[in-house]
Amino acid sequence: MDSEHPTFNQCLVLATALKLLLIPAYRSTDFEVHRNWLAITHSLHPSKWYLEDTSEWTLDYPPFFAVFEWVLSQFAQFFDTGMLQVKNLNYGSMETIYFQRLSVIVSELVLILSLRRFINIQASPQSKKVANIISLSLLLSPAFLIIDHIHFQYNGMMFGILIFSLTDALTDNLLRSGILFAILLCFKHIYLYIAPAYFAYLLRKYCLGENLFDIQIVNCIKLGSAIVSIFGVAFGYFAAIGQIPQLLSRLFPFSRGLCHAYWAPNAWALYAFLDRVLIHIAPRLNLSVDSASLGSATRGLVGDTSFAVLPNIPPRVTFLLTLAVQIVCLVKIFLQPNPSKFIGSVTLCGFASFMFGWHVHEKAILLPLVPFSLLALQDRRYLGAFRPLAVAGHISLFPLVFKAAEFPIKTAYTILWIMVFFMAFDTVVPVAKSQRVFLLDRFEIVYMTVGVPLILYTEIFHFAIFGSRLEFLPLMFTSAYCALGILGSFLGFFVLYLTG
Amino acid sequence: MAPQPSGAGSNKPRKRKRHVRSYSLQLPSKPFPLASFIHPFRSSSMQRLVLPTVLTTAFIFRWAVTYGPYSGEHTPPMFGDFEAQRHWMEITIHLPISRWYWYDLQWWGLDYPPLTAYHSWLCGIIGSIVDKSWFALDDSRGYESYNQRVFMRATVAVSDYLIYIPSIVIFTKWYSRTTGTDKYDRYIGLAILLASPGLIIIDYGHFQFNSVMLGLAILSFASFLADRLLWGSLLFVMALCFKQMGLYYAPAVFAYLLGLCVSFGSGGGDEEGMNGGLNIAGLVKIDVQTLVLLGITVISTFGIIVAPFVVFHGAERGALEQLGQMVHRVFPFARGLWEDKVANFWCATNIVFKYREKLSTASLQKISLAMTILAILPFCLLLFLRPKKRLLPWGVAGCAWGFFLFSFQVHEKSVLLPMVAMTLVVAGGVDRDLLSWIGWANNVAMFSMWPLLRREGLGLQYTVLTALWSWLLSLHELPSSIFAKALHVGFYAGAIALHGAELSIKGGVVDRFPDIWVVGNVILCFGAFVAMYLWCLYRMADEAGLLDEMMLQQPAGEVEKERLKKVE
Repeated sequence: MDSEHPTFNQCLVLATALKLLLIPAYRSTDFEVHRNWLAITHSLHPSKWYLEDTSEWTLDYPPFFAVFEWVLSQFAQFFDTGMLQVKNLNYGSMETIYFQRLSVIVSELVLILSLRRFINIQASPQSKKVANIISLSLLLSPAFLIIDHIHFQYNGMMFGILIFSLTDALTDNLLRSGILFAILLCFKHIYLYIAPAYFAYLLRKYCLGENLFDIQIVNCIKLGSAIVSIFGVAFGYFAAIGQIPQLLSRLFPFSRGLCHAYWAPNAWALYAFLDRVLIHIAPRLNLSVDSASLGSATRGLVGDTSFAVLPNIPPRVTFLLTLAVQIVCLVKIFLQPNPSKFIGSVTLCGFASFMFGWHVHEKAILLPLVPFSLLALQDRRYLGAFRPLAVAGHISLFPLVFKAAEFPIKTAYTILWIMVFFMAFDTVVPVAKSQRVFLLDRFEIVYMTVGVPLILYTEIFHFAIFGSRLEFLPLMFTSAYCALGILGSFLGFFVLYLTG
Repeated sequence: MAPQPSGAGSNKPRKRKRHVRSYSLQLPSKPFPLASFIHPFRSSSMQRLVLPTVLTTAFIFRWAVTYGPYSGEHTPPMFGDFEAQRHWMEITIHLPISRWYWYDLQWWGLDYPPLTAYHSWLCGIIGSIVDKSWFALDDSRGYESYNQRVFMRATVAVSDYLIYIPSIVIFTKWYSRTTGTDKYDRYIGLAILLASPGLIIIDYGHFQFNSVMLGLAILSFASFLADRLLWGSLLFVMALCFKQMGLYYAPAVFAYLLGLCVSFGSGGGDEEGMNGGLNIAGLVKIDVQTLVLLGITVISTFGIIVAPFVVFHGAERGALEQLGQMVHRVFPFARGLWEDKVANFWCATNIVFKYREKLSTASLQKISLAMTILAILPFCLLLFLRPKKRLLPWGVAGCAWGFFLFSFQVHEKSVLLPMVAMTLVVAGGVDRDLLSWIGWANNVAMFSMWPLLRREGLGLQYTVLTALWSWLLSLHELPSSIFAKALHVGFYAGAIALHGAELSIKGGVVDRFPDIWVVGNVILCFGAFVAMYLWCLYRMADEAGLLDEMMLQQPAGEVEKERLKKVE
């Protein structure tokens, strides 16, 4: 470790300096969402937390996160009590901004510690070196910078818990891994998407022995009681006062549409893109166009999406597709329960839910991106599959921060990250043991070259040419482009996972 | 240390006790974090990435500073420097050139030389394509909007990256060649220059275009290093024509060029281009040809830049009147000895001796002129007598310190000139002493601008940039001499105490003396700046070989020359 320059801590200091300078930068409505939660948890009795609806941004995270906000609010009162009033909608005093931004920076400590642990558990100097580069790539990831430090969320802390749990799985500390994951679920329920991988792996590796019928009763009881008591602590109180249905309706709002406002770059974005294209050529193919839904997917509202030419997608279909992919990787992990396959299955579960899920946010790309990073340097084939995801995943986050002042920083930072880390990955990644399965190399180069003019068009030229007209066009291009990269990365990794 | 036969000592410079300023020989290399960040790029496969990476990182931090407020943001009626720059873009694109220096002078009348006006015109034209209302004549006074702000910030960034950044890249290349510094140290030097906080916070935070003037000046120094004297003087005149503050460097540049053209004695003079020179009594040789060419370059460059004002002087005024007005606007001698509190001699000693009450402005001007000349004389003389390439940045920095400390009408932001020039020497390789001094100088300069930055709400940017700078250079490690240690520690303790007191003490003393923190700042910084002036003098004399001569009683000049020839 000592010979590595720059060191992990040095990068950390540099990144923190940048994050501090970003305090006055653009922040999305998520800033107000979290401010409102601070106010709710601070000023109301827990029995009112999930009922309060003065602001449209109601509390829709599980109880642990609410408690986390309550803890933060205990410090917030020393900064400015104004932010703790439920009625102060869109309150944004200087103190509030500093407090909330600093809380993100400080809570990222969890991610930092988890990455340090990930480095420390490596046995050989070579794997330490590799782990060091992976950790740095995550610590300095443009995704966390854009989502957490500009857009405003607490993903650093959440993924820190996930990485702690994954490193525990890597060191066969399965009980703790399971407990950490259960805690994580009580912070943010989006991680339910990767829960099947945990379920299958813990069941196979921890609850069953070598032989499938050799049930480890003690382990089952330990794990079961731990998880039940964690969920009991989180939800017990709300169950006792009969608010579980109310809580669930907040956590799972099924009334939303298939595609989120910006079209997360998944299979449905490609589907919608195809639909848009078909509208123009449908008359020649004698297809019927549903004129009522012509404007639907382009309006970019959080609502129902309907298609003009292609059949509409009911939630059931997305659910079944996700499940189908997940089951395939669960079978594999059941047959080959080893730690690296487990992280692979977590990645694939994240991928599947991102690619086929219902109302997916572009931010959810972190779900496959973070676990995949841990595997990316296994050998050249993995790196080949990872690179399109790293490019597309980060570019797909650009529309989140759409103001002109942040354009230079998000692009420069992402380009810098890609430049430095792709080079660093190349220097340490071992050669593949077997032949490459997927022709990703060529695809990759073409794909990345297309990216540059695309970003220039979507971020600058479009507005120079069309002004504010056809606003959906750049978003649609970005989504379709990124969806293609993520799809390629997904398929490449899927093949590697099944054949490896 | 006798001169060696030419083929023998290619690694000779390394063996000299003095000036072995390279960390690249140490493995692993981690003397300070900044060097550590450059470390991965030492391998040949990574080397092509070093410039893109360093420049992009520098850009990210620069742009991150723009999220802070600019000078005069949302503060009617007069706003601030941001409005001044915007206003110049407005008047230059709407008015004929003959009215630029005359139009409504009460509202931020143009008071910079012509090149700034042309630059403003270009920015204004481009901005007007995007949105006409940003620069509408008269109606746009005090105009502020989100997009306009981004545009204005972008003009600074683009100017910076078109002029200042390339110029320091080129300068580090030539200076490292002059001093025989290796690549790794050269890039460390470049990174230090890029990380220097003063220029970033004034240009990207406060809002000005100092980087254009400084960039042109540094590019001219680089040209001198590359033996392109005419290009260098052309660029230097351009720098002067962008911002008159470039005059701080002018005497040193003049002395250097004159020194190249004039040589004394029969042996050892600079032979290059001396063939057709004028020889006076075998004692002084003057290279008339170069001298004349330099003169022609300077005058014609000035001529071309001001020509539009002469040609298009308008119907109501003559050409001379136009030029007179330009000079009058650019050099406001009618104003007082100083305006805001600034850490120079006049302002600091004014606490004891009230100059403005006891002396007239005219006599003060004369006194200040005399003292300035006295202060810059040693540096100019050194450059004149020993016009060596490696001495150039030292001489320029010392000269600028002299101006800053003693001249008339100094602004707190003018500290950038000596500071940036002084920081240039890092391109010749760094050791702990140099690093601590340069780092300290930048910190003092930042602290001296604190009253201004605080007023404008740039506290966050000030804190982060200064702390980052101190950390990057490991400034907790002090220079070796006990005197320097005491000086640095004393200053840091004083600065921290002042900051702490300003934060915590309210009312009482502060109500009676509202300026108390600023006065404390001025006194502390003045002391530090004087120390820096002396240090520059000492280091320059050392680099010139004067100290060796004094101590060893033998001429080191020839040895030095031999050495440099090999290096070059």
